[in-house]
Amino acid sequence: MWAWLFHRISGLALVFYLFLHLMVLSSATAGPAAFDRAMEELHSPLFLALDLLLLLAVLYHGLNGIRVVLFDLGLGVRRQAALFWMVMVLTALVLLAAVAVTWPFLFGGGRAG
Amino acid sequence: MDQALGAADTPTVYFNVQRYDPEVDAKPRYDRFAVPYEPGMTVLQGLLWILDHVDGSLALRYSCREAACGSCAMLVNGWYRLACKTQVKDLRSKEITVQPLPHYPVIKDLVVDMSGFFAKYRAVQPYLVGGDGQRAVEPASGPGAPAPEEVAPGREFRQSPADRAAFEDATICILCGACTSSCPSFWTNPDYLGPAALLKGYRFAADTRDCLAERVPLLSGEDGIYRCHTIFNCTAACPKEIPITEALQSLKRMASRRLLGGGGGGGRQAAR
Ligand code: SF4
Ligand code: FES
Repeated sequence: MWAWLFHRISGLALVFYLFLHLMVLSSATAGPAAFDRAMEELHSPLFLALDLLLLLAVLYHGLNGIRVVLFDLGLGVRRQAALFWMVMVLTALVLLAAVAVTWPFLFGGGRAG
Repeated sequence: MDQALGAADTPTVYFNVQRYDPEVDAKPRYDRFAVPYEPGMTVLQGLLWILDHVDGSLALRYSCREAACGSCAMLVNGWYRLACKTQVKDLRSKEITVQPLPHYPVIKDLVVDMSGFFAKYRAVQPYLVGGDGQRAVEPASGPGAPAPEEVAPGREFRQSPADRAAFEDATICILCGACTSSCPSFWTNPDYLGPAALLKGYRFAADTRDCLAERVPLLSGEDGIYRCHTIFNCTAACPKEIPITEALQSLKRMASRRLLGGGGGGGRQAAR
């Protein structure tokens, strides 16, 4: 049940993000100055942290999506719990790698991009 | 369960039983009963002890006392269990909370209204339908085979042991209702046929003597098989440990194969 619940929550988060994304993008099209300002803000540690959350949702939703597709193909249905933990571990590993990469920009005062 | 239950001195367990009579009570309450523990005691025995010694008005269903009739499914310490199959010792707690199966209307105390559950069971036509014999093995011929006129309705639908084994798991369901009670798809859509009825549908869909052309439409409508989102609660809840989700996934593939015109006739290939 947790796999399914997280899938729903991350799915809703991604839909919400999509609209947010379009809003931010369109606000950046108001001219060169607006574009620069938007880029400046998006490079701030706050937005980088939000990007990591986004990555979490994408990773989980994508990997668990593969898990569910396997079930629809009739594969691994009896190993669903093990597959769920595989999804969790893979999600955590990739996320940790991403945190390692963004760390200097989050806390080191460095500027991304 | 620690020394208290093993030792000879005053082993007592406490049953916290949800009591509710919708015709009288505004909301459910919990009654706490001290029950003398005996080695080997089941939750059902504890409840019957309460019924006999403390409160004869406690309402519950049971019949076989051996996990065969399916009438005593309830929530014990928050999980779906058959009261008769659950040893108090295995709960590893002296506090035992007993509630009726959730998401069915309560009639009284631990007795819930299963009429909707059984209406869905009937809706999937839980018996062989059609019988065009298309999937049936050719009747035996040669010496020793039954004469055709002995075989009603004019033709014998034989089945190989392997074909029977393909849906063996699905035949042991005792219709206790735990799986459907545990299913979030059922919580959000009470019209959903639910895992128990669909498992029964699969039991016949996978049976080589049944007619898939008549069977699949019963199971694949708007409130049917595609409302299963592989949440696995049913499989976890089933006290008979039937791999329900696996069966429902097989059923989905049989149904979609027919929808896509791919036949899906063979019970064996469709079931695995
Ligand atoms: S499949 Fe299992 S949980 Fe569902 S009704 Fe049958 S025995 Fe009970
Ligand atoms: S009393 Fe029959 S299953 Fe428990």
